Amino acid sequence: MLLAPRYAWLRQLAAFAVVLAVWEAAGRAGGLNPMYAPNPSRVGAALVDLFADGRIWPHLQATFSAALGGLALGIAAGILLGVVAALVRFIAELLEPVMTLLNAIPRVILAPLFVIWLGIGVASKVALSFILVAVLIFFTVFTGIRQVDRRLVERIVTLGGGRWSLVRHVYLPSVATWVLGNLKIAVGFAFTGACVGEFVAATHGLGYLLSFAQSTYNAALMFALILLIMVVVLLIFAVAGRLERRLLRWN
Amino acid sequence: MRVRDLTISYGGEPVLEKVSLDVDEGRFVSLVGPSGSGKSSILRAVIGLQRPLSGMVEAAPARLHVGILFQDDALLPWKTARENVALGLTLNGMEARRAHAAADAWLERLHLKGLGDRFPRHLSGGQRKRVALAQVLAMKPRIVLMDEPFASLDAIVRARVVRDVVALVECERISVLLVTHDLEEAISLSDDVYLLSQGPRARITQHYPVPIPRPRDPVNTRTHPAFAPLYERQWADLSREVDNRAEAA
Repeated sequence: MLLAPRYAWLRQLAAFAVVLAVWEAAGRAGGLNPMYAPNPSRVGAALVDLFADGRIWPHLQATFSAALGGLALGIAAGILLGVVAALVRFIAELLEPVMTLLNAIPRVILAPLFVIWLGIGVASKVALSFILVAVLIFFTVFTGIRQVDRRLVERIVTLGGGRWSLVRHVYLPSVATWVLGNLKIAVGFAFTGACVGEFVAATHGLGYLLSFAQSTYNAALMFALILLIMVVVLLIFAVAGRLERRLLRWN
Repeated sequence: MRVRDLTISYGGEPVLEKVSLDVDEGRFVSLVGPSGSGKSSILRAVIGLQRPLSGMVEAAPARLHVGILFQDDALLPWKTARENVALGLTLNGMEARRAHAAADAWLERLHLKGLGDRFPRHLSGGQRKRVALAQVLAMKPRIVLMDEPFASLDAIVRARVVRDVVALVECERISVLLVTHDLEEAISLSDDVYLLSQGPRARITQHYPVPIPRPRDPVNTRTHPAFAPLYERQWADLSREVDNRAEAA
């Protein structure tokens, strides 16, 4: 019965628990160097410490502000530029090579440049999240509009609709569909930008704490922070997934 | 509506050349021909989606009184069945509440009562076809262009949808120009059948009036004494047309 496909989550959970138990036992038996691989119990204690004294909250706030700010601005700019480039050939000729170049390079290499331009505050982290998200959304919208279903366009035209009707009934819903379809990837990009930006130069944020843990060889804190970032992103994925299911309920 | 000397080209050699045909008021007219003969291009030219190289469409009703039913349903996937049916009405200025009430009436008439809140993805092929038909008929067209609209349906669903279409166009006295490659369908539904030759440079080569009285049941029409001789004649003409073109090639 436990081998049924619907109990896959239970088997995965059990396997995870076994890995943790073996890891813990190996650590306690002295088989693992705590400097590189601290016991799960020590990671858990580090995580509890972060919340117990409340010092994690300003860091969480800093990372969330940068990631969500970059996400919102990146989505808005990506949609705007994607729509304009898809509709105006002259703009496409200017924008497409720049966006292609930005898409081709690992955009996190821009982090030090943003620190020079915008300082070590939240602005440079927002900028990095923004550039990661905006390029993704630009190509989503730009290629999406160019490949919009011609049959739907012709249907609106034959029913007597004009340009505005096409935008309202075909292009906008199509754009919303493509953007929502890429929302989870965009969320991941936004947090990557925020954390990498904080890692490079910051005074707050989960990336800053990671950098601190690295410089002090505090592997337990580092594992705790990685775990925390994973949980935070998974929670946002869940929210994005619910939003996607709700808004794309027709699909 | 009269189509006169219509020539359509997509850049090179014309697909269609000097095509002329008449669709009189309340008549069901079919255009049959081999695949690739440019049948659909005639409908696209009539409704303004394709600019002809030369020729014209005379005495056509105003654009809004010409409906078109495509081979695929072309329903907006993010709108419910009701919103899709009401779309043409709201695009032309009708208040949304009135348009939705009219849409519900059409959905009921096409045996889709209670399905107004469903999205196209959650409807069967036959139901989607009926929604597309309701969308066109809600605009109260005087002529409906049909581009092989029943081709994707299985036999039973197709027979039911076709029966409803015939009953509705007979009742509303709507003219129809149907494009199909199915000779049986053309004869059983139509008052006039035009045969289009193999393209490129396809032309109308035959015109067959169908002497079967109305009202009709499209299924029983096939047992009418006039059906078999007309079918055999059309089949022979169409086969000859395809053979001639193959020899010429």
